[in-house]
Amino acid sequence: MLEEKHNIKAWFYLAPALVLLIIFTFYPIFNAFFLVILKDFNYLQGTYQGFTLTENFVHVIRNQNFAQAMINTMLITFVSVPVSVVIALLVSVWLNAIVKLRGTFQTIFFLPYVTNAIAIGMAFAFLFNRDYGLINTAMGWIGLNPVNWVGLGATWRHAMFSLLVYVVWGGMAFKIMVFLSGLQSIDKQYYDAARVDSTKRSRIFRKITVPLLSPMIFYITITSFIGAFKAYTEVIGMFGQRLGPAGNDRALITVVALVYDALDRSGVPGALSEAAAASIILFSITLVFTLINMQVSKKRVHY
Amino acid sequence: MEIKLNNLTKVFQSKKQEETIAVNNLDITIPSGKLIGLLGPSGCGKSTTLYMISGLLKPTAGSIFFGDDDVTTVPPEERGIGLVFQNYALYPHMTVQQNIMFPLENLKVPKEEAIKQAQDIADLVGIGNLMNRKPVQLSGGQQQRVAIARALVKKPRVLLLDEPLSNLDARLRLQTREEIKRIQRETGITTIFVTHDQEEAMSISDEIVLMKEGIAQQKGAPQEVYDVPTNLFVAKFLGTPPINIFDGEIKGGILYVGDADLGKSKLKDQEVVVGIRPEGFKVVEDSSFQAHVEFVETIGRDTTLIIKDPHTDEKRTFRAIVDADEQIKPGDNIKLSVKPHKLFLFDKKTGEVLK
Amino acid sequence: MSKDIVMYGDEKANRRKVIIRLGIVYALLVAFAVFIIVPFYWMVLTAFKTEIQVFTAPPILWINPINWQFSNFALALERAPFARFMGNTVLVSIISTVGTVITTVFASFAFARLNFVGRDLLFMLLIATMMIPGEMFVITNFLTVVRAGWIQDQTYMDAVLAMTLPFMTSIFYIFFLRQTFKQIPNELYYAAKVDGTKDLQYLWKVMVPIAIPTIITITILNAMGTWNAYIWPRLIAQREEFRLVSNGLRDAFVDDLAGVVQYNEQMAAALLVTLPLLIVFLLLKKYIMRGVSRSGIKG
Repeated sequence: MLEEKHNIKAWFYLAPALVLLIIFTFYPIFNAFFLVILKDFNYLQGTYQGFTLTENFVHVIRNQNFAQAMINTMLITFVSVPVSVVIALLVSVWLNAIVKLRGTFQTIFFLPYVTNAIAIGMAFAFLFNRDYGLINTAMGWIGLNPVNWVGLGATWRHAMFSLLVYVVWGGMAFKIMVFLSGLQSIDKQYYDAARVDSTKRSRIFRKITVPLLSPMIFYITITSFIGAFKAYTEVIGMFGQRLGPAGNDRALITVVALVYDALDRSGVPGALSEAAAASIILFSITLVFTLINMQVSKKRVHY
Repeated sequence: MEIKLNNLTKVFQSKKQEETIAVNNLDITIPSGKLIGLLGPSGCGKSTTLYMISGLLKPTAGSIFFGDDDVTTVPPEERGIGLVFQNYALYPHMTVQQNIMFPLENLKVPKEEAIKQAQDIADLVGIGNLMNRKPVQLSGGQQQRVAIARALVKKPRVLLLDEPLSNLDARLRLQTREEIKRIQRETGITTIFVTHDQEEAMSISDEIVLMKEGIAQQKGAPQEVYDVPTNLFVAKFLGTPPINIFDGEIKGGILYVGDADLGKSKLKDQEVVVGIRPEGFKVVEDSSFQAHVEFVETIGRDTTLIIKDPHTDEKRTFRAIVDADEQIKPGDNIKLSVKPHKLFLFDKKTGEVLK
Repeated sequence: MSKDIVMYGDEKANRRKVIIRLGIVYALLVAFAVFIIVPFYWMVLTAFKTEIQVFTAPPILWINPINWQFSNFALALERAPFARFMGNTVLVSIISTVGTVITTVFASFAFARLNFVGRDLLFMLLIATMMIPGEMFVITNFLTVVRAGWIQDQTYMDAVLAMTLPFMTSIFYIFFLRQTFKQIPNELYYAAKVDGTKDLQYLWKVMVPIAIPTIITITILNAMGTWNAYIWPRLIAQREEFRLVSNGLRDAFVDDLAGVVQYNEQMAAALLVTLPLLIVFLLLKKYIMRGVSRSGIKG
């Protein structure tokens, strides 16, 4: 090596970031695992009634909303991620196929990335309003009956559908950007070569574009899964702290919401440990799916 | 398959509406079953010509015939050509076999048959044992062969190669160019390749087409073009070391370079450009062409003399290749004579050869 | 021979096919653009409706600009101190962004340029941490902030500290900037060393200027992140006037039990919150879009 080690100097440069990371990232991770084994921890007094391995997890799982939260989170993830990845892939291929107006379209498609999730969530809620919203009006044009999507007494099914539309809408911008830049980095010669060899368009897409883009698709899928498991602000934006349509409170509760619900009750003994347990459950889900994804990708991704 | 280019022209238009004529009225016929080198400096329009033949670029004017078929407006996928790209454009996610079979699958060749054909062609180019590798696991030369195999597997009417050797190192280049020649001979497919390397073109082409600024300068068998250049550009472009250029003058039927007498000429009195191939000099006992040797490079059987040119410009040097047996040291003053068939005269204004 | 005519026919058919295909692509893109724009349009339209117009069925789809109801904005501003929220948000973003950039630049420099014991191990550790959901930190960070005394009898200073300090560095940005720093050729560093340049000088005079596009991207994305932050500010802000825009907006418009809201005022407020972000985006489009597509950052 050309350079000797600069230990002291390096730690000096690292110190500001490292101190903050230790206090606000590393310590909290360990502490989450510590909190979760405390019985009836009261942070105001700093007291607890001994240790437990399972009790806090049991509290979370026994929570009347736990099953609903799991179902909702999984549904949001497994619907919104594939749908938005596929649409984003198609849109970026279309974008890549045109020259005129590409920049304009790109800017428009990027807009959801730079909006406030709460503000636009509220707009979505009103879009889906039964009597005064645009969605039902548009459905009326093609002869469909109005649906109570998000209003008083709206069913879980309808509210969930509205939420999914919003989540897909919001998640597209980032994916389109990444795919488009991926497409543009593919050597044009592959397409010339395929053309000379009389390859059909659909086959070019399946056999050349998708495989060459597969590292990006993989990356996007993983980050989107992780992001979707944490769905929460979208629900807040559309439905507020009630986490569901009026009269159907908490119908759209998610796993993250369990963490914050518990945190909102922080004064109650044991609540923080419950929050920690919920966050560890969330972490485990994320971890498992990331590992599965990585296994799958070993076969499917071409670097 | 004979290929005919009639008045082929390609004009590129920049965003600012500026026009660049990449290929200008190209009018050549490429005989069937031959290996043709399109040669020229970068920007001469040789690659543009190749891509027009492939159909990936549309000509601005003129037409292209494959035999009797006018293919000018036929899209590339229907022309029946094989194209080898400069960077090979091998699909990185496919194995060698999948790469070679790709064109066959497009043509809906049954799988068994496709595998067999791919194997045959891979054997022909000498990569039959690498079928399960991915392109990244291959050397440059092997990738090159895969690219050629992929282009040949669908039995194209015409094989086009864009700078096929430019990404290979010097040794592989020698080996691969022989290989291309062999494959072309065995398959008998009319093959056009583009290169900026004159040695490469000279060594394997049946014919070369030398281009400059979109215009074909000369076409013919390599040695013929070397021996009988039609203009100064052709003479300068071919040959290593390059031809030596002097300002000369014909006075009273005698050709002079400075005060050196280089023999009789039938041309009328005028100023001319004199080109003498480095191998066109002989060291002699007596001549008015005197020279001062500055450096001597002996490589194998040849000795290259780097000589100060005393006749026109004191600072300029030129090269002469003489037999290694000649005992010449730096600092020697020698006398030279010139072999008449290695000397060319060019018009001072147009650069056309004078005969 | 008739072959020429056939070829000509093929050419024409080909061109027609290309035009049709391109037409379909544009049509699909326009349709998708409509899908993206509709929520924005709905927000703007509603923000300018009178109460009667809001509650008209079927809804009014276009309002002449002369009849725009600007008073909605005044009403929204009366309902909650949005100007104050925005001021808070701007302050918090500036502080956390400046902090983030400083800590990130130093840490990235160490990772990219200096050789020290445990560098790769530490870096791996940081990367692994990126996978852990933020919810896991929030719990303890809340406790930390409480222990620091920033929650009880909260002063403005307490609130600002609590909202900024935990976000003054980011593993992702360190990772991102390190990538940029690593692309700077080592020769520059050795040349500077030979000339007697100190590390800090080199960082400041050579690396930072070269990496400025990345640093700008980090700045913008971090500021945008603050503008969107909802969860943490909601936990921290103990008084209404300490809120940031997201939770300020959400809490200003809680629907009644029947799920009904003053939509025109709500949308006016939403528009107020959205607009600054859109303006910044349109001004700095190049940096934001390039940065996002190059790095694949998830905000």
